[in-house]
This record gives sequence, C-alpha cells and structure tokens, in this order.
Amino acid sequence: MSLLKPFSKLPDLNTANILLVENEEQFQQNLANTLVEETAVTVNVRLAKSLPLPMENDESRPRIDLVVFIINLTSDKSFESAKASLKYLDPGYFLGKVCFMATNARHASVRTGCLDALRQLAVSLHCPLLFAEDQTPEGATSSARRLLTILKVASGLIPNTTALYLSNLTRCTMPPDIDQPSFD
Amino acid sequence: MDNSVKHLLQRLIRRIPASMLKSTLDKWGRLTAENRKSLDFTQSKWTIAQELVSICEESELTVKHITELEMIYITENPNQGMWHTFQLVDPEDDAHSVELMQFKEQFKSHLSELKRNVSVKIKKHTDEAVWIRVAWGDGLSRPNHLKATYVVHYLQTPYVFVNALSSKHKPLLLQALTLSTKHQQIKAANLSGQKLTALRDLLMRQYQQVFPTKYPSPLPEKLRIEKVQAEASANRHRMAGETFGDGTLPALQSAVFQLETKFKDPTNEAMTQRDEPFICSVKFSSSNLLESLRHCAASGIASTPVTPLLSSIPLKGRNYFVITDNVPTA
Repeated sequence: MSLLKPFSKLPDLNTANILLVENEEQFQQNLANTLVEETAVTVNVRLAKSLPLPMENDESRPRIDLVVFIINLTSDKSFESAKASLKYLDPGYFLGKVCFMATNARHASVRTGCLDALRQLAVSLHCPLLFAEDQTPEGATSSARRLLTILKVASGLIPNTTALYLSNLTRCTMPPDIDQPSFD
Repeated sequence: MDNSVKHLLQRLIRRIPASMLKSTLDKWGRLTAENRKSLDFTQSKWTIAQELVSICEESELTVKHITELEMIYITENPNQGMWHTFQLVDPEDDAHSVELMQFKEQFKSHLSELKRNVSVKIKKHTDEAVWIRVAWGDGLSRPNHLKATYVVHYLQTPYVFVNALSSKHKPLLLQALTLSTKHQQIKAANLSGQKLTALRDLLMRQYQQVFPTKYPSPLPEKLRIEKVQAEASANRHRMAGETFGDGTLPALQSAVFQLETKFKDPTNEAMTQRDEPFICSVKFSSSNLLESLRHCAASGIASTPVTPLLSSIPLKGRNYFVITDNVPTA
C-alpha cells in the first residue's frame, strides 16, 4: 500500500508544505490562492481529490507537513471519500499533522448525524476540527489564516512547539452533553 | 367581426406578455400609424384588448390577419408548450430537390384532400425553417383557431417539430408531411421538450463539438500550487467535453428512461421470483440537462468513459429511451 509518510524526506529551508484533500475540488483552490500569499514563509500547496496520491509524482513531491481533509457536510460522498482516504496516511501523521475542515455546517440540507459522525471521527483520531465558510472570499481568508497557524507549527518553524504539543490543545473533543436527548 | 373572432383576438392579446405586445404589433404591420400611436400601452391588458378589437373592426381585419399575428408571436417565442420531434425516413430519389414553393403547394393540397375545412398557413422564417400553422375543422364545423397546431420543418433535413397536435389529427398531418416531402415514412424521434431552440440545436449539432486530438498539452511550469492528480482530472474533463461538447450546450430540460428489466436484488426473494419485467421510469430534469451531465462526468460523480446510457442523449439526439434486458437502447 502506498502510504504517505511524514518524515521520509528532507525539509526545505523556511518552507511549509500543505496538502488539501477535497472530493469536490472547489474550496481547495480558493484556499490555495490565499495560502500562497503568505510572505514570512514559503508555502507550497498540493491539491488532491482523494488519497492515495499517484506514484508517478512521488519524486517531485516535497515532504507534506500538514494534510487537511475538506468535507462538505451536505454531501455523503464527501465524507465517505475522506474516510476512505484516511487509510493511505501513515499513522505518524495523526500526531498533529492531520486536520479536518468542514464546510456548509449550517446548511439546511445537512443530514442529521453527519456532523456528529465527523466529530466522532475527529475525536477518535485526535485531530482538530475546523469549520469554514466557503462562499465568500473572507471565509477563505479566515480559514487560511487558521490553517497557516497550525501549518507553521507542523512544519517546525515555530520554536519550542511541536505539532503533537499543539494538537493536545486544538484537538476535537466531544461536548459533554452530546449523549443527552436533544430538545427538538 | 363576429364573437368568435373577437374572442380569438382577446385570447391572443392575453397570451402575449405585456413587454412584447408593442413590438409584436409593430412586426405585424396591420395597424395604421395613427392607430399605433393611439394605443396606450400603459393601460391594463384588458383595456388594450378592447381598444384593439374596435380598431380591428374599423379596419375590417379578419381571422386570417389575426392568425398572422399569432404566428408572428409564436415564431418569435417558440420555447413554450411541448414540442415533439419526428423524423422522415426513406427519401425518394427526388426528395433532395423539393423546394419551398413545391412543398407548400403539395402540403396544402394533400392536407385538404385528407380533411376538409382545415386552415393552413405556411411561412418561411429567416433561418431556413418552414413554419406551418394548421387549424383543424371537419366536414361540419369551421376550423378551430383556438387550438392550432404548429409544425416546424427544416427543408433538406429529415426533422419535423410539432406542437399541440391531438391524436385524432396526428395520422393526417404525418401523412401530409410525408407525401409533400417525398419520403416513404415518418416516425417518432423520441425527443421532446419545451424549448424548440434547444431541440433544434441538439439535433443539428449547432453547438461546439470537441474532437479528440493526439497532441498532449504542454508541461506546466513548477508552481507553488500544484494539483497532484492533475492528469486524472484533465482526462475526466477531456472525456466529458468529447461526449457532451464544449461551451454553452443546448438547454435540454429532461430525459426519461423507461426501464423494463427484471428486478435484480439478491436480498429480495419475493421480487426476483417474478418473471415479468419490473417497469419503472427514471426522469432526469434540470434547467440545462446536458451541462449538468457534463459537469457530473468532469467532476467524477459519473464514471468516465461516459456510459452509453447518458452519451446517447447528445449522440443520438433523443431524450426518451426504453431499456429492456436484451437491448441497451431501443
């Protein structure tokens, strides 16, 4: 199986590499455009629809510091595709180098239980779960800013902090009242 | 002007949207300049209709002129009602040389032989289409202008589009068409929809086609943003474009698949035991069905290469399919 490994290549100077995985291939383009505008660090963005990544580009691909799964909550296929892609990540990534980003969380056509299922998944993998608004440029900017914060830590550019340390603070937890009956 | 004619005119004015009324009347050209000036288009349609009726009575306009107005309106706004397509088959040797005047005479004479008391109006539109309006009567009554059938035929093509044809008159119209275009037969082409322009563009391939090329696209430079699976994505886009076309596609609005296949579900014994086919009808509808299907193929929602069930829609120019177990498309 062609697993993506976190430490199998050498890093570049002052560079951070992020992989955005999204089944619909829409929001990732806007995010990518905003991410590369960062000046303090050289950010390289790789866009993919799902994992595994093709073996042909393996040589030219840099070491991926952070993998972000963008899941559209209104589409079951989006969630299933992200879950299937998780198998192709080396377990080393789950120590703070994977992040989930959910879009359309407030949409009327979100299936009940979809958000909870995503939360359960993020909790079981100890990953942060971010929410993004993908319809406006401001939404892309603010999500990109948050991703950059995590990315800089994950690529080792922030002294005295590692990805694992940060993930203890940012990882998703189940709210304590999730098992209580809801009011609607 | 008797009541039925007045009623026809009023119905027609009600039908034409207020925004198009002035321009349609100008194109009609049957009103004098002072009549046109006297009509106040800011009034309610009912008032305008009343005024128009009195103007037409003064000018002694007849049913013939009013049907002219209706034809102008429908010709300019063909995307209403439901159009069905027919295809002429087995042309005789001199079918290619049928030209407009000959077609007009032949059609009128054949139709009047088949049925008395029909009122036929034929007009050639600017884009080579022949528009025919038929109002049906029978031996006893006058032609009913309220429920006229419209036919559009492009000479030198085998396609005929028909609107508002009752089953009673269908064989007569089809026979008249077949004889006057010098073909042996006419059959249903399984393509229908509300937008005549879309049906016509689809059948006559008047949209941008994409042909497969052997030249690969040039290597992209090293960019900071790179799509990892760009090749797969480019392949999908290419195949979708080759199947459905490029740019703006004809606005087909629905496709119906009539399935007559045996029920196949290993977990449901009761249904699979039956010998008769399970009859079910699947309808796809969209404001532009071909664009939606192209997007499905390009984004990977529909697998590529595109299944013949979907690619038959643009390739064969049909939107009604019957699928049985032995033959994929009937």
